Amino acid sequence: MSMARVSISLARREFLGFIRQPARVLGTVMQPILFWVFLGAGFTGSFRPPGMEDMSYLEYFYPGVMVMMMLFASVFASITVIEDRDQGFLQGVLVAPVSRLAIVLGKVMGGSAIALVQVLILSLAAPFLGLAPGPGAALLLLMGYVLTAVSFSALGFALAWGMRSTAGFHAVMMVFLMPLWLLSGALFPLSGAPAWLAVPMLANPVTHALTIIRMPFYAGPATLFADPQYLTSLAVVLAWATLCLWAAARRVERRERGAKTAAAPAE
Amino acid sequence: MSTMPMIAVRHLSHIYPGTRKQPPRRALADLSLEVGEGEFAILSGPNGSGKSTLFRILCGMALPSAGAVEVCGADLFREPARVRRCLGVVFQSPAVDKHLSVIENLRIHADLYGLGGPDRAERLEEALAWTDLRERLEHRVATLSGGLARQVELAKVLMTRPRVLLLDEPTTGLDPNSRRNFLDALRRVQQARGMSVLMTSHIFSEAEDADRVAILQDGRLLAHDRPQALRAMLGREMVVVEPVDAAALEARLAADMGLAVRRHGEELRLEETDNGAGLPLLEEILDRYRPMVRSIAIRQPTLEDVFVHVTTAARGREAAAAALQRTGT
Repeated sequence: MSMARVSISLARREFLGFIRQPARVLGTVMQPILFWVFLGAGFTGSFRPPGMEDMSYLEYFYPGVMVMMMLFASVFASITVIEDRDQGFLQGVLVAPVSRLAIVLGKVMGGSAIALVQVLILSLAAPFLGLAPGPGAALLLLMGYVLTAVSFSALGFALAWGMRSTAGFHAVMMVFLMPLWLLSGALFPLSGAPAWLAVPMLANPVTHALTIIRMPFYAGPATLFADPQYLTSLAVVLAWATLCLWAAARRVERRERGAKTAAAPAE
Repeated sequence: MSTMPMIAVRHLSHIYPGTRKQPPRRALADLSLEVGEGEFAILSGPNGSGKSTLFRILCGMALPSAGAVEVCGADLFREPARVRRCLGVVFQSPAVDKHLSVIENLRIHADLYGLGGPDRAERLEEALAWTDLRERLEHRVATLSGGLARQVELAKVLMTRPRVLLLDEPTTGLDPNSRRNFLDALRRVQQARGMSVLMTSHIFSEAEDADRVAILQDGRLLAHDRPQALRAMLGREMVVVEPVDAAALEARLAADMGLAVRRHGEELRLEETDNGAGLPLLEEILDRYRPMVRSIAIRQPTLEDVFVHVTTAARGREAAAAALQRTGT
């Protein structure tokens, strides 16, 4: 009970901080939309993968942009952890009698809420693509969004926690987080990728996150729950979200420790 | 002083693990220190003396290499949760969210400590009672002056009624008035509630009215006593005269009494003397030259004098020991 209250209070703070910085709101919402519109419009003429001849690239890329939004939202939320922890708001939270998991959940829920708002704004574009999921499929979509946003936020948190500088986190984002997204099938389908690329793509949890966000646009719950591909991806994403949360909570619990070895006295 | 110390640091050592480029560094060396119930203690020391390390350990952010710490009678390393409930911490860098309003920050803090119900409003009221924040509750912290922002930090922490309060150079960056206000408020609340306070500070005017002052260097405690006792340790006081005519009195003092007089602008300073020797000297000067004296006082060495004296003396001893080691063996 008190843990939920702490997490909700921290999440609320995260969300309020976000909407009170209009530049941040505009940046995180606009960037993926620009990506989507430019890449989508540009590629639509030449994009003809086998078996998807009647799908425009704008439509293909649509779930991928949603995942990208969630990735960016979590990156922005995680970056604040670095400064907040050493010389900001989190200092006061860390010395408070709250469970360490509640601190993680607060951040993750706040970051996920921000990501969800953005994704829901982008959802308004679905009817224009001719995508009209029914109520059951819409619920599954929402579940996919939540699971993906939570995983990304927890992953970002776990990566950011030990970092001393935001510059270091940018490096992690470019060489680790972005490739996770690039190799998720967001930009190009798995079916056309060479084998050496297809293997890491299949092992990539973001590929599965994309699957549980893409499929409900085209099928209802009855079909999906009978589809081994959907069920596998759902299981992978669930496991991944749990793993990320666990890793983040562990990071927070670990306190830096003095060395046991004797050292020369300070100069 | 009460029987149970509220903060008890025992044989605390901390060594920062080395990296490939840096050898391990000892930040605290067998440090023992106690802060009694209701005591206001100042922790001072040069940069790199181990203050920050001690502070990080005391607020439960780092685990030491060796030693024990008890806060409120609970073992800090085994029962951190118990300690956190009785501890309040004011950090040097702001720990409030500047995008949120004053009242929003306070409410989050209340949530963290599980303050709810009718108690909550009362605590908020109590926390704000001494501040100048009443008119600014709905304003974002980013829009407040440095002094007011610091008040938010303190109000927030006091709301949970901590029995032990740690402050890390809380007045850094404040102008003298704001600093005075902050410290006066802190001292008032501390005395009213019988809180135990440990505050790190470089500013010695802040330490003058502390109950005890600890001076740390190279991870060791060089001195830990009442400010008065620390000043007495130096054993030097001087008589300072403000004369009607400086030149005239200077000549008379030197000629009649054989005193070494130093002139400081319009002020005459008489050689630093042993403790207790100042008063007879003052009386004698008044007896002889009362009409020539506008004011006269005995000046104690300041804590800053003590700090410089103690820390340089320790450095000297260390250098001597190192030299001995080089030549000796």
